[in-house]
Amino acid sequence: MSRRGRLACARGLVFALLMGLAACGGGGGSSSSGGNTTPPVVTTINNVQPVVVDSGPSLNGQPIGANDELFTTVTICVPGTSTCQSIDHVLVDTGSSGLRLLSGNIALTLPFVTDTTNNPIGNCVQFADTSYQWGPLVKVDVKLAGEVASSVPIQIAGAPNFAAVPTSCSAGGIPAQTLLQLGANGILGVGLFRQDCGPACASSSPPAIYFSCSATGCTPTSVALTGQLQNPVWMFPQDNNGLAIVLPQVGAAGAVSVAGSMIFGIGTQSNNGLGSAQAQAANANTGNFTTTFNGVPYTTSYIDSGSSGFFILDSTTTGLPNCASSSDAASFYCPTSPVSFTAITSGRNPNGSGTTVSANIAFSIANGVSLIDSPNTSFNNLGGPAPGVFDWGLPFFFGRTVFIGIESQTSAAGTGPYWAY
Amino acid sequence: MLGGSAESVVNDQLKFQAKRTVVETQEYTLHVISLEDGTLIREYVTPGGKVFGVSWSGPTIPDLPQLLGSYNAEFQNAVHVKNGHRRAAGVHDSDLVVESSGRMRAFYGRAYLNSMLPSGVGQEIVK
Repeated sequence: MSRRGRLACARGLVFALLMGLAACGGGGGSSSSGGNTTPPVVTTINNVQPVVVDSGPSLNGQPIGANDELFTTVTICVPGTSTCQSIDHVLVDTGSSGLRLLSGNIALTLPFVTDTTNNPIGNCVQFADTSYQWGPLVKVDVKLAGEVASSVPIQIAGAPNFAAVPTSCSAGGIPAQTLLQLGANGILGVGLFRQDCGPACASSSPPAIYFSCSATGCTPTSVALTGQLQNPVWMFPQDNNGLAIVLPQVGAAGAVSVAGSMIFGIGTQSNNGLGSAQAQAANANTGNFTTTFNGVPYTTSYIDSGSSGFFILDSTTTGLPNCASSSDAASFYCPTSPVSFTAITSGRNPNGSGTTVSANIAFSIANGVSLIDSPNTSFNNLGGPAPGVFDWGLPFFFGRTVFIGIESQTSAAGTGPYWAY
Repeated sequence: MLGGSAESVVNDQLKFQAKRTVVETQEYTLHVISLEDGTLIREYVTPGGKVFGVSWSGPTIPDLPQLLGSYNAEFQNAVHVKNGHRRAAGVHDSDLVVESSGRMRAFYGRAYLNSMLPSGVGQEIVK
């Protein structure tokens, strides 16, 4: 989809028609009070950011070979200026909050954010595969579609002119700080939370998240909420109560690539109403909810576009054989033919009514080796084990509009954190 | 430390500067180590004094070289995937099983040795 050369109103009309909703100018979410006779000026901001599932960024002229990874192009600017750059193939991640970009891609000059003792602040993020990203905090304006989040703290991963990674951050794992290591040019965390860490890092100093880095080394430190990595969506001046990710369905063999949309705001414009979507609250501390599978409730359940598969339970519980450790699909399931399942997600209604909302989710898991060795990149049936966990990864998003209600932000569905689909 | 002695559990507690509680059962002893940031580590020890399983849950991933000991190398080799960002990783060998999942604010994982499971104890105990 072309992002340029159209007026915002015309673009709004295109989406209004696609979604069968009101025509251009019908939304906006602004209201006037009192007897003002001058009609309010409704400015329609382009809130639709293109996203794609494809084979990933190129390295030495070849796509890196991604599978089930959702990407977008992020524009960053020196705060308050028009000195900007765009970075493609940044992973769209509903499982984290905050923007992390690889230092090798950064062309802007961005000073380190410092703490009260004038030491630069280092940030660490660890992933379940024990890879990590480490680097300084800097501030940028983040531009997505027509939306701008100003002076957002972000992480520059693998900055060469910064302190060495603390051992509590690396913890024996491998870095994910180059294109080869990460398979993306960065991670755009647009999850349920406003910050990456939140209150735990404001009131204490966890051993491997924020660090104050002096000439002699880095020590864990607390960082006020406003100084932490921020989900840029909640920092937009409007369309900031959440977002929706919209991907078309794919066939059982997958697709070479899939184009979709990330739409900012929930019920704030004519193109982002909840429609028939049902909202389920997530745990305010962990973001988890409950998925019931074969009659057993699993409370460690979450929806994560940054997981490149359904990562659910274990081989014994699902009856799915694991792929061979030596195969291209180690850490995925390898049934000889696709297996169909149904599970029930449930959570409190975030509107405060005290009721529980449930949804039946049908899905299928196919042979991981066959999928990954195929030329396709976008699969609704790639899965693997995660003990005791029900992780609805990127396959969940195909054929759905998935709304992410950000914590403490409100919409017609209620107050976040919640999911709606 | 997976595969280590009961004393290695105390070493882990010291290394993590954490609190530890002990739960005795007929088939094994469970040590629960509570880290300051809210992460819980569980170590399962056989009647003969060997750590046959460990698990972790919480906002951060604990120091796995400390917790997995000599088995960490095999886990790291297995997860050293160049392409792609995955949110779960594992090893499933005839003896060693390691499974790791979750994301910021909520990580989970476990590891066990099939050869060391006490009689009458299934792998599902380690959680």
